[in-house]
Amino acid sequence: MLIVGFFIFVGLASPWIAPYPARSYASLYSGEAGAPPSWQHPFGVEPSGIDVFSEVIHGTRNDLYVGVAATVLTVVIGVAVGALAGYIKGVLADIVLGVTQVFLVIPALLLILLFARIFSALVFAGLGLTLIVLILGLFGWSSVTYLVRGEILRVKELEFIQSARALGASTWRIMFRHIVPNVLSPVIVVSTLNIAGFILTEVVISFLGFGDPNTSTWGLLINEGFTYVRSHWWVSLFPGLAVVFCVLGFNLMGDGLSDALNPRLRE
Amino acid sequence: MENSLLEVQGLKTYFFTEAGVVKAVDDATFDVRSKETIGLVGESGSGKTVTALSALRIIPRPGRIVAGSIKFEGTDVLAKSEDEMRQLRGPKMAMVFQDPSSSLNPVYTVERQLSDILMLHRKLTKKEASQRAEYLLELVGIQDPETRLKAYPHELSGGMKQRIAIARALSCEPTLLFADEPTTNLDVTVQAQVLELMKKLQRDLGMSMVMITHDMGIIADMTERVTIMYAGRVMEATETKTIFHEPRHPYTEALLAAVPRVDQRRILEVIPGNIPNLIEPPSGCVFHPRCKYARRICMDNVPPLEETGRGHTVACIRWKEVSLKGV
Repeated sequence: MLIVGFFIFVGLASPWIAPYPARSYASLYSGEAGAPPSWQHPFGVEPSGIDVFSEVIHGTRNDLYVGVAATVLTVVIGVAVGALAGYIKGVLADIVLGVTQVFLVIPALLLILLFARIFSALVFAGLGLTLIVLILGLFGWSSVTYLVRGEILRVKELEFIQSARALGASTWRIMFRHIVPNVLSPVIVVSTLNIAGFILTEVVISFLGFGDPNTSTWGLLINEGFTYVRSHWWVSLFPGLAVVFCVLGFNLMGDGLSDALNPRLRE
Repeated sequence: MENSLLEVQGLKTYFFTEAGVVKAVDDATFDVRSKETIGLVGESGSGKTVTALSALRIIPRPGRIVAGSIKFEGTDVLAKSEDEMRQLRGPKMAMVFQDPSSSLNPVYTVERQLSDILMLHRKLTKKEASQRAEYLLELVGIQDPETRLKAYPHELSGGMKQRIAIARALSCEPTLLFADEPTTNLDVTVQAQVLELMKKLQRDLGMSMVMITHDMGIIADMTERVTIMYAGRVMEATETKTIFHEPRHPYTEALLAAVPRVDQRRILEVIPGNIPNLIEPPSGCVFHPRCKYARRICMDNVPPLEETGRGHTVACIRWKEVSLKGV
């Protein structure tokens, strides 16, 4: 929770706390290009003159944006489709489930790389992050759908739903007061873990060079550092550490939430 | 029928499944008078629960009431709109379910579950509702109601949960309470306590109760009249005393013979076979394949529910010919 809070703070405040603007080659002219970590440049400088510390901070903002936005998209689509699939019966339900299954078996990463190439015009127009969010969201909702549908089917049959009806609760009331709260907590937990997963995917995309080379992300930095990792290890190391801690943070938060949302473990 | 609170006539509730039409309730007729407790008895799957759900009109899909009439306080339940039904459920009719561990919503505290209904039906404020919730817990004999209000269902024992389910059903003082095997999932000692409590509440609040059970002991202890159901049909209905001493239906006799007794050492008689397939029930009398008195005639004719004496009805073609023993 603390780790995630820290990253979110850094992400939100990045324009003010980063010593240099994003993708700024300022240090090239001060003769500090390629300098190792120092007080002036805590994470060192790239050979091209980019301050790694600033880049990691700007990257935090962009990577969190990708992770959170893509997750929001998957939750919106996933819950809507899942609720539909859990509530209706018959042929329509089969169709919905079939479509969901198709999305479940698509190797998302390959498609993402493909789309990033196809729409490279968008990437260079500065919409690279939005594109990645859209692709991740549009191909990642099926697991949420399955979760929601399964939970709704389970909860719907429980006796307290019927006893709520027996005491005069309306259909809407049952849906939102009784079914949704019982379904929501696993969705929140899974979504937290999904944020970490999407951030990792974004890192992979950028690392492979399919991202926008003009947008600061951790993956891009690792990529840039990768070519001269023997002489300038700091360029890759620090964004790598950021990825590790951020993902770890979200995973810990997911665990914490799953405990906190479980009434059985509540004090 | 004089001062009937609930009158069920020829009720048929079918479930339209992919495998076929399941005739869960097939021609059920009975009535509940004001301030009395009646028993609804039968094996599992004989349509007792579905009958109660039909009266409240909360039959789960794909079930539907296809025929019959249900009158409550003289008005036709089946003609009411869903909105009107919701006004009825809770303040007029309520139900206690079989399994207390799943009939309470696990994500809400006891207080929330009780006050929600009060706020919905009685339009109480939050504060009034929680005061009444505390009173209700006292009413159902829960010690230390203040702390229990803050508890989640999993923190309570089965008996306590069932008491809370009862408190919740009684919260708006219904005139009719359906109790669907309220003690089946409880320990024997707790069972006795809960039954005692229900009996007391029924008397004190002056409500009518439909006790759904397969336990003849509970019937003897709690009810004034009893309706015996089998495969969705009424087999026999009469006063509780009469059913034990002079049963008129072979199924009733068989049920009684399967009850153990403290004062007699005997081998319990088992009813041979199983409850029939409700998609294709046996022809004629539904009980004939398992009935030791069955004749050819039972296979071909559906026995009507006949009046055999004062307030005693039986659905058996041969009721005059067979002599049955009670207990």
